[in-house]
Amino acid sequence: MSSGEKFFHLTDYVTDRLNPILVKETRQALKSRQFIITFMLLLTVAWLISVFGTIWFGPAIEYGSAGRAFFVAYYYVIGFATLFVVPFGSFRSMLNERDQNTYELLSISTLSPRQIVTGKLLSSLVQVFIYYSAIAPFIAFTSLLQGFDLAMVTLFLVAGLLWSSFVSMIALMLSTLSSSRQWQAINTIGMIGLLLWQMSAAFGISAAGFSESIPFDQEEFWWVIGTIVLTVGTYFLLAQQIAVSRLTFESDNRSSGVRIICTLQFWLLWAGVWVYSHRYGTALVDEDTIVGCAMVSCIHWFVVGLFASTEPDHISRRVRRNVAKFGAFRFLIAPWLPGGRRGLLLLTMHLVVLAAIGRMGVWPEWVHNIVTATTLYAFIYVAIGAAIGRLGQAVSPEFRPAHARVLTILIGALAMVTPYLPAAFGFTRWDNAYRLVEVANPGRTLMIIENAARSSSHYKLVVDDILMILWLGAGIALLVNLRAMITGVTEVRDWKQAADQGSSIVELDGAEAASS
Amino acid sequence: MIEPVPTSVEARDRGEPSLELRHLHRFFGRLKAVDDVSFKAWPGQVMGFIGPNGAGKTTSMRILATLDTPTAGDAFVCGYSVVDDPDKVRRYLGFMPDSFGKYANMNVVEYLDFYARAYGLRDAERRDAIEHVLVFTELRKLADKSIDTLSKGMSQRLGLGRCLIHDPQVMILDEPAAGLDPRARVELRELIRLLATEMKKTVLISSHILTELGEICDSAAIIEAGQILAYGTVDEIQRQQASVDIGSAGRRALRVRLASAGNLEDATNSLEKWLLEQPMIKDVQCSIGYATFDFEGDDNEQHQLLQNLMAAGHPIIELHGKTQSLEDAFMNITKGITQ
Repeated sequence: MSSGEKFFHLTDYVTDRLNPILVKETRQALKSRQFIITFMLLLTVAWLISVFGTIWFGPAIEYGSAGRAFFVAYYYVIGFATLFVVPFGSFRSMLNERDQNTYELLSISTLSPRQIVTGKLLSSLVQVFIYYSAIAPFIAFTSLLQGFDLAMVTLFLVAGLLWSSFVSMIALMLSTLSSSRQWQAINTIGMIGLLLWQMSAAFGISAAGFSESIPFDQEEFWWVIGTIVLTVGTYFLLAQQIAVSRLTFESDNRSSGVRIICTLQFWLLWAGVWVYSHRYGTALVDEDTIVGCAMVSCIHWFVVGLFASTEPDHISRRVRRNVAKFGAFRFLIAPWLPGGRRGLLLLTMHLVVLAAIGRMGVWPEWVHNIVTATTLYAFIYVAIGAAIGRLGQAVSPEFRPAHARVLTILIGALAMVTPYLPAAFGFTRWDNAYRLVEVANPGRTLMIIENAARSSSHYKLVVDDILMILWLGAGIALLVNLRAMITGVTEVRDWKQAADQGSSIVELDGAEAASS
Repeated sequence: MIEPVPTSVEARDRGEPSLELRHLHRFFGRLKAVDDVSFKAWPGQVMGFIGPNGAGKTTSMRILATLDTPTAGDAFVCGYSVVDDPDKVRRYLGFMPDSFGKYANMNVVEYLDFYARAYGLRDAERRDAIEHVLVFTELRKLADKSIDTLSKGMSQRLGLGRCLIHDPQVMILDEPAAGLDPRARVELRELIRLLATEMKKTVLISSHILTELGEICDSAAIIEAGQILAYGTVDEIQRQQASVDIGSAGRRALRVRLASAGNLEDATNSLEKWLLEQPMIKDVQCSIGYATFDFEGDDNEQHQLLQNLMAAGHPIIELHGKTQSLEDAFMNITKGITQ
């Protein structure tokens, strides 16, 4: 066998073990006009920077901080390719699959949705590496100059690579969200805007980093880096899971993965707070940080809860059969299983945990109040959405989860605006006094609760009234949804029987319900 | 719902069906795109899936291809449910949609290579599969050609090759001949026939070109407004349709041919006059040497009619029921309902 044949067989052997999408996308990308133009443009601009930069610096190139200046210029050039061109390519890649009618062919192959998403992401990374290798000789050139800082260069290049992967993942996720051409067009415009915004933000942050020396020796710096990496990492996983769920076959489980990652994010946040406070003492984790984390958690669970609790409750035989394998354990994992009833249960569980954290004795009364009020708001609004979702599905088969979500947002917005309508139409005078009717407005109410800590006893009484109303609202919301939540857990028991009956079940009930 | 007509004994003897739709329903809101559809197909069978636009053919095929899920009921490919085991179904199924999905910057071999990898074929197995498909579809000479530049006929061949790359037992072809020129259609028809006869695959094919389907299909299912109106072998459907004609209206279409000896025009006129006088005969239509008419009677009465014709001295050399093509059967069975 000649060395050429050996090489061919070796390449074949290696690529056989790689993700097929990666092989296909890389082949396509390397032949594409977009890649060739970007690559040539990148080399040309980097070469021009080198030539004109050297002329501009003149003799000063020997003793100034020319190394850093050159690196910054090259970094922006590669940043355009890796933070705009590559993520946009990922976004278009998935849309093209739909436009060219190849996605369906892909989805009926034996490739899993995860393999499809991972393959597309990896092909983006391959392109980033190729662009990096193109710019590498120019960066190597800067190492000969004064002001070159290897640690800084490594940090920025690694950060750029990770950020590019994250943005590509977000782009892939967004590309899976719409299948209609109209939404795709709107999505594309939004995507370009988002990419330009994040690129300019990344350049801005980089510029700030370039102008200062990086405190590698300070522990605080690594805490910040760790927090950013962890946050970006979990959102990367979430975006990946959402993309996978969107591509998953309808009768399969599209929900549990997303629920697990969202739960993980919540616990990681509070584990981080706990580790930080344990290491530095609670004095360093001030009340504002706790309230901030509680707010973030509530917004997080409001969004997750609104999506999870408005899911259709009908579960396919495939999901039931797979869940049945878990035996008695499936009662414990019920909140993470698909279905709106269990989605509301998942939200309720975590809001209870959050409220318990807020009521821990180490925080002052206003923190207790504000965390309690925030969790109650999240529960009430999501419970309204869940009830609308169930009612809508019972009334019409054409009622979709998205309708319930939009209606919930509209109801929330209406509830927030209504108390101010009399003043807006001139029936009453505008004043700054808080009225209990404004309790539907979380922003204003939470501000009042926070201010009450530093103001008159009158406000303290108002806070008591606010909390009483919120507890009452939450109680009613719980009563309305309690039966559904209990059913959400108890019906899991029946899935075993359904699974045992196997594929012969003909779900005519579903058909009749759909047609009636 | 019309109960599924059993297919021929020969087909049933082939064992388990490789394709089965069991009380399949698919509703889009209030629209019943597929409404209680059931049929089976066996290895080595080419089954035509016939219906007007919007009848539910593509929806049923998409469910079989695991691209959609049924509202109720189930479909099975090689015994695996499309709802419960879509991943297993995909191993045994090749689906060719009505539009050919093209990738940019890719040649024929790379296209097949990608799908071979996507179906988990590795090393020599993958190379052999690609070679086999290139030979079968006669695309060897175009192996390095960019797929963007292929003609419609060649694209369809490549689409068929893609379906075949993982050697599936069942192939679902949605309008594969649409937009092809006559030569390409004939060539594609030959390939499809080979799939069933030589490779023993089950082929479910939908098409609007019923004359072609009639030539390559062993069996057919006629669907309209989401419901199966007729199902069985092509012969059975044609016979069944003829008997439906007798049963429903109590009449059968007959055709008479006269011997060409003597004055054929006079003989035809005489026959027409005689036929018009007969009480059980309606809608007489004559052309020189031929007469077609509807006869309201059973087999005994038809026998008597023949004797009377001979006795009246008409130079009859043929009397037979008017044969129904698949197209005739389709036109008779469907009512042109659109949803």
